[in-house]
Amino acid sequence: MTFAPGDTVRARTVDVAGHTRLPGYARGARGVVVEVAGAHPLADDRARGLDVPAQPVYHVRFAARELFGEGDHSVVVELWHDHLEGPA
Amino acid sequence: MSRVNDVGGAIGFPAVVEEPDEPRFHHDWEAHVVALNGALIRRGVYNLDEFRDAQERLPVEQFRSSGYYERWFAAIGTLLVEKGVCAPGELAP
Repeated sequence: MTFAPGDTVRARTVDVAGHTRLPGYARGARGVVVEVAGAHPLADDRARGLDVPAQPVYHVRFAARELFGEGDHSVVVELWHDHLEGPA
Repeated sequence: MSRVNDVGGAIGFPAVVEEPDEPRFHHDWEAHVVALNGALIRRGVYNLDEFRDAQERLPVEQFRSSGYYERWFAAIGTLLVEKGVCAPGELAP
Protein backbone atom coordinates (compact mmCIF):
# COMPACT_ATOMS: atom_id res chain seq x y z
CA MET A 1 0.00 0.00 0.00
CA THR A 2 1.27 3.44 -0.87
CA PHE A 3 0.01 6.91 0.00
CA ALA A 4 -1.38 9.50 -2.41
CA PRO A 5 -1.62 13.28 -2.34
CA GLY A 6 -4.33 14.33 0.13
CA ASP A 7 -3.90 11.28 2.36
CA THR A 8 -3.58 11.91 6.08
CA VAL A 9 -0.58 10.10 7.52
CA ARG A 10 1.23 9.87 10.81
CA ALA A 11 5.01 9.88 11.19
CA ARG A 12 6.19 6.84 13.06
CA THR A 13 7.37 7.17 16.63
CA VAL A 14 10.01 4.45 16.21
CA ASP A 15 13.28 5.29 17.90
CA VAL A 16 15.89 4.86 15.19
CA ALA A 17 19.34 3.97 16.48
CA GLY A 18 21.53 5.78 14.00
CA HIS A 19 21.04 7.93 10.95
CA THR A 20 17.47 8.78 10.01
CA ARG A 21 15.84 11.29 7.73
CA LEU A 22 12.83 11.44 10.05
CA PRO A 23 13.44 14.52 12.22
CA GLY A 24 12.73 14.20 15.91
CA TYR A 25 10.20 17.04 15.86
CA ALA A 26 8.01 15.18 13.34
CA ARG A 27 7.81 11.84 15.12
CA GLY A 28 4.24 10.91 15.92
CA ALA A 29 2.84 13.97 14.16
CA ARG A 30 -0.08 13.86 11.72
CA GLY A 31 0.30 15.46 8.33
CA VAL A 32 -1.05 15.39 4.80
CA VAL A 33 0.76 14.05 1.74
CA VAL A 34 1.39 16.91 -0.71
CA GLU A 35 3.02 14.94 -3.49
CA VAL A 36 4.96 11.82 -4.28
CA ALA A 37 8.62 12.73 -4.74
CA GLY A 38 9.86 9.71 -6.66
CA ALA A 39 11.20 6.47 -5.25
CA HIS A 40 14.53 6.02 -3.52
CA PRO A 41 16.20 3.48 -1.22
CA LEU A 42 15.62 4.37 2.42
CA ALA A 43 18.51 6.63 3.45
CA ASP A 44 18.35 5.24 7.00
CA ASP A 45 19.24 1.80 5.60
CA ARG A 46 21.82 3.04 3.10
CA ALA A 47 23.61 4.77 5.97
CA ARG A 48 24.06 1.29 7.47
CA GLY A 49 25.57 0.00 4.24
CA LEU A 50 22.44 -1.96 3.29
CA ASP A 51 21.51 -2.47 -0.36
CA VAL A 52 17.73 -2.00 -0.28
CA PRO A 53 15.07 -1.49 -2.97
CA ALA A 54 13.55 1.89 -3.75
CA GLN A 55 10.36 2.93 -1.97
CA PRO A 56 8.11 5.97 -2.42
CA VAL A 57 9.25 9.27 -0.97
CA TYR A 58 6.63 11.89 -0.08
CA HIS A 59 6.44 15.55 0.71
CA VAL A 60 4.27 15.72 3.82
CA ARG A 61 2.80 18.96 5.16
CA PHE A 62 2.47 19.36 8.91
CA ALA A 63 0.79 22.22 10.73
CA ALA A 64 3.33 24.01 12.93
CA ARG A 65 0.87 23.71 15.80
CA GLU A 66 0.97 19.91 15.39
CA LEU A 67 4.77 19.89 15.48
CA PHE A 68 5.61 22.63 17.97
CA GLY A 69 2.35 23.41 19.76
CA GLU A 70 2.15 26.89 18.27
CA GLY A 71 2.48 28.81 15.02
CA ASP A 72 0.16 29.40 12.08
CA HIS A 73 2.54 28.22 9.35
CA SER A 74 3.13 24.75 8.04
CA VAL A 75 6.27 22.70 7.49
CA VAL A 76 6.78 20.32 4.55
CA VAL A 77 9.07 17.40 5.32
CA GLU A 78 10.47 14.91 2.81
CA LEU A 79 9.83 11.45 4.21
CA TRP A 80 10.13 7.88 2.99
CA HIS A 81 7.22 5.44 3.02
CA ASP A 82 8.77 3.52 5.94
CA HIS A 83 8.68 6.69 8.04
CA LEU A 84 4.90 6.86 7.77
CA GLU A 85 1.81 4.93 8.77
CA GLY A 86 -1.91 5.39 8.25
CA PRO A 87 -3.73 7.95 10.40
CA ALA A 88 -5.41 5.42 12.70
CA MET B 1 16.41 9.65 21.07
CA SER B 2 17.92 12.13 18.67
CA ARG B 3 21.50 12.72 17.70
CA VAL B 4 23.41 15.99 17.96
CA ASN B 5 22.42 17.06 14.45
CA ASP B 6 18.69 16.71 15.05
CA VAL B 7 17.95 20.17 16.44
CA GLY B 8 14.93 21.16 14.34
CA GLY B 9 12.40 22.92 16.56
CA ALA B 10 14.89 23.38 19.39
CA ILE B 11 15.06 26.78 21.07
CA GLY B 12 18.05 28.77 22.29
CA PHE B 13 19.99 29.09 19.06
CA PRO B 14 21.00 32.53 17.80
CA ALA B 15 19.39 33.92 14.68
CA VAL B 16 20.80 32.82 11.34
CA VAL B 17 22.93 35.63 9.94
CA GLU B 18 23.23 35.69 6.17
CA GLU B 19 26.58 36.75 4.75
CA PRO B 20 26.15 39.16 1.81
CA ASP B 21 27.76 37.87 -1.38
CA GLU B 22 28.87 34.75 0.44
CA PRO B 23 31.65 33.01 -1.49
CA ARG B 24 31.31 29.32 -2.35
CA PHE B 25 34.33 28.66 -0.11
CA HIS B 26 36.05 30.74 2.56
CA HIS B 27 39.32 28.79 2.42
CA ASP B 28 41.06 26.82 -0.31
CA TRP B 29 41.16 23.64 1.77
CA GLU B 30 37.36 23.56 1.88
CA ALA B 31 37.22 23.08 -1.89
CA HIS B 32 39.72 20.21 -1.59
CA VAL B 33 37.52 18.54 1.04
CA VAL B 34 34.48 18.81 -1.23
CA ALA B 35 36.43 17.39 -4.19
CA LEU B 36 37.83 14.56 -2.09
CA ASN B 37 34.41 13.63 -0.75
CA GLY B 38 32.85 13.65 -4.22
CA ALA B 39 35.61 11.46 -5.61
CA LEU B 40 35.29 8.92 -2.77
CA ILE B 41 31.51 8.70 -3.18
CA ARG B 42 31.76 8.33 -6.98
CA ARG B 43 34.38 5.61 -6.51
CA GLY B 44 31.95 3.77 -4.23
CA VAL B 45 34.17 3.91 -1.15
CA TYR B 46 31.09 5.02 0.79
CA ASN B 47 27.71 6.53 -0.02
CA LEU B 48 26.17 9.91 0.81
CA ASP B 49 24.07 8.53 3.65
CA GLU B 50 27.06 6.84 5.28
CA PHE B 51 28.79 10.21 4.99
CA ARG B 52 25.92 11.99 6.76
CA ASP B 53 25.87 9.26 9.41
CA ALA B 54 29.61 9.66 10.01
CA GLN B 55 29.11 13.37 10.71
CA GLU B 56 26.31 12.61 13.15
CA ARG B 57 28.54 10.12 14.96
CA LEU B 58 31.21 12.69 15.75
CA PRO B 59 31.64 13.38 19.47
CA VAL B 60 29.03 15.95 20.48
CA GLU B 61 31.55 18.60 21.52
CA GLN B 62 33.49 18.16 18.28
CA PHE B 63 30.30 18.35 16.21
CA ARG B 64 29.22 21.57 17.91
CA SER B 65 32.59 23.30 17.83
CA SER B 66 33.52 22.37 14.24
CA GLY B 67 32.77 24.35 11.12
CA TYR B 68 30.75 22.88 8.28
CA TYR B 69 33.66 21.60 6.21
CA GLU B 70 35.62 20.65 9.33
CA ARG B 71 32.80 18.19 10.03
CA TRP B 72 33.07 16.95 6.44
CA PHE B 73 36.79 16.33 6.83
CA ALA B 74 36.34 14.55 10.16
CA ALA B 75 33.63 12.31 8.66
CA ILE B 76 35.83 11.46 5.68
CA GLY B 77 38.62 10.45 8.06
CA THR B 78 36.23 8.28 10.10
CA LEU B 79 34.96 6.48 7.01
CA LEU B 80 38.37 5.96 5.41
CA VAL B 81 39.58 4.22 8.57
CA GLU B 82 36.41 2.16 8.91
CA LYS B 83 36.56 1.12 5.25
CA GLY B 84 40.19 0.10 5.62
CA VAL B 85 41.50 2.71 3.20
CA CYS B 86 43.62 4.56 5.75
CA ALA B 87 45.23 3.68 9.04
CA PRO B 88 44.11 5.69 12.08
CA GLY B 89 45.97 9.00 12.11
CA GLU B 90 47.15 8.67 8.53
CA LEU B 91 44.81 11.44 7.35
CA ALA B 92 45.73 14.66 9.11
CA PRO B 93 44.56 18.20 8.47
